[in-house]
Amino acid sequence: MSTKAIRATLSGLAIVPAFIAVMYTTVAKDAVYYKHVNEVMKSPDQWYGKPMQLHGFVVDKSILQRPNTMDYRFKIKTDEYSVVADYTGIVPDTFKDGAEVVLSGRLGPEGFKVDPNGVTAKCPSKYEAAGPSGSAIR
Amino acid sequence: MASLGSFLILTAFVLASGAFAASIAGARRGQRSLIDGGTGLFHTVTAITGVISALIVHSFVIGDFGIKYVQRYSNSEQPLFYKLASYWGGLDGSLMFWVTLLAIFGSVAVYVNRERHRLLVPWVVAVISVVEMFFLFVMVVHNNPFETYLTTPPAAGAGLSPLLQNFYMAIHPPLLYLGFTGMTIPFAFGIAALASGQLDDSWLRAIRTWTMTAWLFLTVGLSLGALWAYEELGWGGYWGWDPVENAGLLPWFTSTALLHSVIVQERRGMLKVWNVALVIVTFFLTIFGTFLTRSGVVQSVHAFGENRELAWLFTGFMVFTLVVSFGLVIYRLPLLRARNELDSWTSREAAFLANNWVLLFAAFFVLFATMFPTLSEALGQGRLTVAAPFFNKWLTPVGLILLFLTGVGPLLAWRKSSLANATYQFFWPTAAGVVTTAAIMFVGIPFWPSGLCFGLCAFVTYTILQEFWRGARVRQGATGTDVLTALIGLVARSRRRYGGYIVHVGIVLVFLGFAGGSYERSEEGVLKPGQQITIGSYTVAYRALTVTRDAQKEMVTAQVDVSEDGAALGSLYPARWFFEGRTDEPTTEVALRRSVAEDLYVVLAGFTVETQEAKLQVKVNPLVNWIWFGVGIMLIGTVIALLPERAFAFATSRVPAGAAPTTLLLLLLMFGMTAGVRAQHVASPQNVPVVPRTSLERELQSQIVCMCGTCGRQRISECTCSTAAEMRQELAALTAKGLTHDEIVAYYVDKWGSQEVLAAPIDKGFNRLAWLLPYGIGAMGVMTIAGLALKWSRRAAQTPPAAATTGANQALEERLDDELRDLD
Repeated sequence: MSTKAIRATLSGLAIVPAFIAVMYTTVAKDAVYYKHVNEVMKSPDQWYGKPMQLHGFVVDKSILQRPNTMDYRFKIKTDEYSVVADYTGIVPDTFKDGAEVVLSGRLGPEGFKVDPNGVTAKCPSKYEAAGPSGSAIR
Repeated sequence: MASLGSFLILTAFVLASGAFAASIAGARRGQRSLIDGGTGLFHTVTAITGVISALIVHSFVIGDFGIKYVQRYSNSEQPLFYKLASYWGGLDGSLMFWVTLLAIFGSVAVYVNRERHRLLVPWVVAVISVVEMFFLFVMVVHNNPFETYLTTPPAAGAGLSPLLQNFYMAIHPPLLYLGFTGMTIPFAFGIAALASGQLDDSWLRAIRTWTMTAWLFLTVGLSLGALWAYEELGWGGYWGWDPVENAGLLPWFTSTALLHSVIVQERRGMLKVWNVALVIVTFFLTIFGTFLTRSGVVQSVHAFGENRELAWLFTGFMVFTLVVSFGLVIYRLPLLRARNELDSWTSREAAFLANNWVLLFAAFFVLFATMFPTLSEALGQGRLTVAAPFFNKWLTPVGLILLFLTGVGPLLAWRKSSLANATYQFFWPTAAGVVTTAAIMFVGIPFWPSGLCFGLCAFVTYTILQEFWRGARVRQGATGTDVLTALIGLVARSRRRYGGYIVHVGIVLVFLGFAGGSYERSEEGVLKPGQQITIGSYTVAYRALTVTRDAQKEMVTAQVDVSEDGAALGSLYPARWFFEGRTDEPTTEVALRRSVAEDLYVVLAGFTVETQEAKLQVKVNPLVNWIWFGVGIMLIGTVIALLPERAFAFATSRVPAGAAPTTLLLLLLMFGMTAGVRAQHVASPQNVPVVPRTSLERELQSQIVCMCGTCGRQRISECTCSTAAEMRQELAALTAKGLTHDEIVAYYVDKWGSQEVLAAPIDKGFNRLAWLLPYGIGAMGVMTIAGLALKWSRRAAQTPPAAATTGANQALEERLDDELRDLD
């Protein structure tokens, strides 16, 4: 093996893992938890204040809206666990009873406080239905 | 029909395996008959996929709801255009569509290269056949688009998702697929070169056009997806870093890198392994993208199916691809040795290499961040996700470095740039960049990232202008023509280089649009009629809510009056549409007021009909239109790079002085005129065409023109103004009365006092002259152009060679000629 090849291999061996490590740590710093309601609500206090994305289904007839405002209060659930969410802003087209949603925000003792523009409803995609709700295709 | 379809899929699979086996055996034994047999089977597969596609389209058009796929993705009320689009509206059909496109591309590539790359062709056939076999196999065992209902089928179709019933969305997937499948051709040639050991640069020449074409489709496809998100989803942005979007972007990064690194191999004989690897990685990423979007491995807000079996099939194929491809690369390493080494870091090849590294980093980063939730889960850290701001934070510097390199590359010389040369090249572009940044910061825009972005845009633009200007001056000196003719000649002689520069201009414009994104403003509120929202210099006053319906949907439309600094700008009509049977998936119809500087973006986010309350979201998106415009320029640049030499034959021959400027002036005038017509479009609440209920109504809608006086005589079937809407309703009433075609025409002629209301005059008597006139003018035009072309090319043949150039331009000319010769 020529010296050049050895040099290239060694620098590769040094650089690539270092690069991946740096990348992983920086990404992890900015990453937020992605949790289902049941995972969080089993022991909610340990999640208080942590930024996260919370996945669940809107509980039927739970969506309340303060008249003349964009303040919403609704419940989302996974299995038997549910949580109250507060949100101010515009909700997506597909946000309704039973919709599969992902909320960005933080959990507190009063419930889940959703960030501005933090409600994402699963969009009815052109591909096959997914998830227990089977929301995409009826 | 369904059984025939399923049978043909199976047949195609069997024939593709035959093509694979025959080609490999033929290539290894050097038996012509086997190779020809394999190629024949390969073309047969293409023909069969064409027939299968025709069957699917036919089933959609006649509404054969016994076939599950047809039932799920269409219904009888859907307009024909969206019935066709339903073909690729679901997973099964999109796989079939993929194979069809691949087969067509493959057949064309094999046919075109059958003589020039005789030794590579059987291997190319084998590789493409394997890819076809994989997709056909998936359909045979898992996703047959011809699957039927075993019990009584539903009487009606479910319909294509309303969100997808949008023009951009109908054409965005095919373009993206064309890009994806197009990337298979370079891969097939790369593997063919590796397998056959024909590793000189000839395979690169074979893939040049294909890579560029596929890249173009990928670029336009991605942009249309972004445009769709912007206009249809109503969240005000165009790119959300969703896994599905990222899947399309990954091969774009690597293919862009490939387009650049190929030049280094052609010119300097370096980066051979790198290029083969890029071809493989790009192909791999197209398959990986498909896997990502269809297997449910990555959680996406798009409800793409969670499909374990399909995931395993794709994983198997990807592992197979990687092992075989890189196995071949390792096996052929001795043949892939570089002819030259990097002489200096201040050389063009070094700039290209840097550009490649940055692009690859971008691809790697996007891949990593997209897969991060899955990775973190696998590492036992729980599912962690990253969001759009994270992507933006990381990729902003990456984008700016790329933009910088876009400017630097063309300024550096091959091998090594001397200090004098660098100063000569860099002085004015750098000055332009610095002055622009200073000016931008002076008006209060921060340096990072917008100020720097604007500065770099100026820098790159200046480098490109400088390249064009200096090149044209040299050519002008050499040929003695006017500068515009010299410019056209310059582009014609080195299409790939100057086409590439034009693509770079497009990139600059796209970056301008990105920079504008930092300054978007947004306001929202629940309004009663008469109330208003103020945003920047705009005032948006809410007037009323109306509910209308047509055969397909119910439409709730808000009217808002827009004014800027007190001056009325007209009304906008944001709406929500509720499609029949899909009322739980309303679509947002964004109302846009477009301008060069910014878009006013109004969304009707919610409403209460009884109280006439409307929830409105108003956004101002600065410079966003430059993105779409930039993509248009990129398209033009790529087409120039792709054009065959003879397309420029007219321009490169000696034309009389002044001919080029006159032609350009005429062209500009023509474009200017059409722009005027488009600009007169007025958006209005009734911009929904009334769907014709009878064939007579449909026929008449396309024979009668809008008489509002501002729409440029558009047919009422197409026109979106309110007059056309009224005319459509009037026509509907007339046909409902049972009037015949001639009676209705007579009614209109009588009402408007002439035949002006008809799209074409009645074909009778004197009117026949009007029918003949366009043909006559067309024939005369053709004759004139042919005559001129003949005359000019003759004169070119008689003109003696160009006069000697002056000493001052000697060095430049030599450099230019040197580079032009080597590039093409």
